[in-house]
Amino acid sequence: MNPLFFSPPHSPGILASPTSFRLRMFEKSLTDLIQGLRANKRNESEYISKSLEEIQNESAAIDKLNYLHMLGYDMNWANFNVVEVMSSAKFSEKRAGYLAASQSFNQDTDVLMLATNLIRKDLASTNFMEIATAELAMDLFDDVLAILGHSRPYIRKKAIACLYKMTLKHPEGLHDFVPQLKERLDDPDPSVVSSAVSVICELAHTNPRNYLPLAPKLYHLLNSSNNNWMLIKIVKLFASLTPIEPRLAKKLHGPLSSLICTTTAMSLLYECINTAVVGDIISVPLPVTDSIGREIDFAELCAHKLEVFYDSSDHNLRYVGLVTLAELQVRRPDLVVNQYETILRCLDDPDMGIRMRALQVISGMATRRNLSQIVKRLMSQLILSNTIALKPGNTEGGPDEDELESTPLIDPSGVSLVSAKGSFTTPKKAASSSEPNAADNPEYRLAAVEAIIDMCSRQSYANMTNFEWYVAVLVDLVYIAGVDVGQLLSQRILDVTVRVRQVREYSVRMMRQLLSDVRLTDFVSGESPHAAVLSTAAYILGEYCTLVPASCDDIGLLLFPCLRQLTSDQQAAFVLAAMKVYTNWLQDVSGYWNDEVWELVRSTNTTTMDSITSLFLGQEGDDLDVVVAELPLQVEGLLRSFIEITKAVSVATSNMSASEPPVCRELHSLFTMYELNPVSAAAQGKVPVPDGLDLDSWIGDEIPDTSLRVLPPPPPPRQTRAPAQRNYASKDHKANRKDQPLGMLPDVDSIPVMQLDLGDLATARPKPRKSDKPKKKKKSKSSKRHKKPTPEPSPPMVPVDIVGDEDMPDIPTKPLNDTPAQQPGSISGDTDNAGAEQPASPPQQH
Amino acid sequence: MIESVLIFNQLGKPRLIKTYKQLDTATQQQLLREIHSLVSKRSDTLCNFLHGSQQLVGSSSRIVYRHYATLYFVFIVDSSESELGILDLIQVFVEALDRVFENVCELDLIFHFDDVHYILSEVVSAGMVVETNLAEISKAVNEGRRQKKPLPEPSRVGIGALRRGFV
Repeated sequence: MNPLFFSPPHSPGILASPTSFRLRMFEKSLTDLIQGLRANKRNESEYISKSLEEIQNESAAIDKLNYLHMLGYDMNWANFNVVEVMSSAKFSEKRAGYLAASQSFNQDTDVLMLATNLIRKDLASTNFMEIATAELAMDLFDDVLAILGHSRPYIRKKAIACLYKMTLKHPEGLHDFVPQLKERLDDPDPSVVSSAVSVICELAHTNPRNYLPLAPKLYHLLNSSNNNWMLIKIVKLFASLTPIEPRLAKKLHGPLSSLICTTTAMSLLYECINTAVVGDIISVPLPVTDSIGREIDFAELCAHKLEVFYDSSDHNLRYVGLVTLAELQVRRPDLVVNQYETILRCLDDPDMGIRMRALQVISGMATRRNLSQIVKRLMSQLILSNTIALKPGNTEGGPDEDELESTPLIDPSGVSLVSAKGSFTTPKKAASSSEPNAADNPEYRLAAVEAIIDMCSRQSYANMTNFEWYVAVLVDLVYIAGVDVGQLLSQRILDVTVRVRQVREYSVRMMRQLLSDVRLTDFVSGESPHAAVLSTAAYILGEYCTLVPASCDDIGLLLFPCLRQLTSDQQAAFVLAAMKVYTNWLQDVSGYWNDEVWELVRSTNTTTMDSITSLFLGQEGDDLDVVVAELPLQVEGLLRSFIEITKAVSVATSNMSASEPPVCRELHSLFTMYELNPVSAAAQGKVPVPDGLDLDSWIGDEIPDTSLRVLPPPPPPRQTRAPAQRNYASKDHKANRKDQPLGMLPDVDSIPVMQLDLGDLATARPKPRKSDKPKKKKKSKSSKRHKKPTPEPSPPMVPVDIVGDEDMPDIPTKPLNDTPAQQPGSISGDTDNAGAEQPASPPQQH
Repeated sequence: MIESVLIFNQLGKPRLIKTYKQLDTATQQQLLREIHSLVSKRSDTLCNFLHGSQQLVGSSSRIVYRHYATLYFVFIVDSSESELGILDLIQVFVEALDRVFENVCELDLIFHFDDVHYILSEVVSAGMVVETNLAEISKAVNEGRRQKKPLPEPSRVGIGALRRGFV
């Protein structure tokens, strides 16, 4: 764009010509306007408004206006003049007028009536219009239809295109148009046929069924034509026709396979393969003879030819190749799976579109054997771009970059690198710096995280061989995802921990590590991406705290300073977990009671009380009761119980006693009396409603709906499904009554219904699985003696399912180096139990 | 069908805007800016297809573009068009321009923007491809240009000129 470069390269010297000079005295030509515009780069808009004024007042050129219109200036005021020019007798003027009209007129243009008549007159000669309006279309339809039979093919092909536009606005015209169109398919001129095919494709795109009768003609064209453009169109059209008429598939088999074998045009080849795959023509059981005379399966031929595309160095071919490969994968996964290496290479493509496609394909081809390799690749992409993003200005004293590059990305021993080394800031910070790297694209990161999770947990963890590794991956993702996937990750962490008994201990340790990471817990709030993960971590730590050595430090982790910033459900999760951890610890230390332990219990109790006070009480001297009563309902009930516990402990330990006080020993059994087992999402429906229990009536007084205490609606009435219930009970719950989920205990009254305040603890848990806990749930449901019903938040229940033994690893593939924790035996050790429970909870894909 | 054809330079200056759906002037400009921002930051090593996700280009539409020297040729098409086919079509269109202008450059497109419109209308009409044969295209275009020849300058048609009896 050199401003010195004024003169148009191919115009004869305009200033030299006397005619043009004479004209210039009165008006600026289009060329002048453009030159002037280019000369006035600095104040373009000023120049344009000046020119517009000139055009308006003195003399004007429609072309000039048209040019300015392209630059975004309105030219509607000149509509009448445009029609004037359109009516000129000179072809060139008329053409300029029509161009201007087709560019600027729309269906609201006021001079359309004039234009309509004019066009009708002109149609007798040559021209055509592209603006179509309902009125215009109706008026002119017959005129244009008449010229379809024009002697010149040029006019015929234009008329066909024009008529299509008109039928969009004037659908009644289709009746007359389609038969005519069919005739045009036999037109001697190839471009007319091509236009007709284009229009038919366009029409069939919206309503394929109506155009099935044209299939024989199109089929004939497919076999006879050599116009690649038209062939592409026809092939694409057949792709939309085959789903409606399955018999076409067999017909198309021949021509498509011969086209695929012979054509040299990549675009045509691609469309043929695409149609063969999408239209499911590959499943036609007819053999094809390939170029060297062998007979091969059509699907194999397609897969083979497709390789040329996605393995090409041309990005466009690679992109479309992957699109079709994804389709092929759906139908014939066996043909795709050996392309694993190629697809892995595509994952590193700089192009976002290609990467996303490759991601889609690769996640479909994950198997037990290659899972860890794929996940490692994806994780390294996430991690590397994060590292790059962190380079500027991050001086938090992590390991230097060389070290980062040389360290393995995922430490298979389970201690994830990122969480251990502390070199990564929170993803938010990382995401704020923008690198033009495709892996930094939030969309890609999200897709990558989802793909990892999908690959790992597909079909009840069918691909998983090492669950500890999976938990480590999830925890790493918390750090490196760089996008808000907290909800998803927390859900998956919970899912794997609950379903897979063997990973629980490891998971608890990882969760403890998460909770003790100040980079996550500092400044956390209900909205921050980590909040969901943290509250899940708290839940797991509380629920399974018996699996790891008890430590009173965990209480401090759970009652952390930013707790109050979380949402009330999350707060409740933390308080409950703290309570579980605390009582577990009390029980643990009661085992070796002595003076020292007594001192320790006393001091820990005081510390715990203090942390509660400082967390939930604003100032010294506030009445605890008053403050607690103002808390959200979920937190309130739990906190009251917690305070009761600390008070009881403080009373019991006020004096040194020879043996441990019973309260210390027994409190934890409140939470562990029944083991909490996963049940199928549908299990609740199979629970029979005890006689005399009306689930629709309120328990106690109706609670007014206030903003502070939002109660879920009362549970819907449950239908007793007799056969299902019988099945359920007889099949799975013979052996271990204790492990049975809610409702499998027929003698409801035998459940101890005491310690109401402590019972509240459990029912207020926000976690779905809580509702399965037999003891407490039963109480809240069956006893109407509750003075206040604890709300039972009912988030969508995570379908739970213990992985059956057939899904447990049988081959210790050792996906990563030195994996001491990976012991297949440790997972399959409990498979009897798991297998027994599976029928009750059919595997659910989610 | 083809929804629109845009030609613009690296700075986003329009050289041709042709939409086959009715869009008002302001929307056209917005479309231009949107596409320019999408396309101009892509390096030549990336693929030439983009899936529409923006406001004006729906998710069912695809953006197929080619980058020639200073200019971007962008076709916005719906799902019934073949991406590779459109890519070839752009090549045909540019070759047609080259035949008509002989060594076409950006300045040709600036100073003969009306001709560019006419050439495009030979290739694409009402959103549909009507001709892909280069010889046919240039024949039709040259016919149109011959009729225009008597004029001293490319298309100096003005309302005022008509009124005053010039030309």
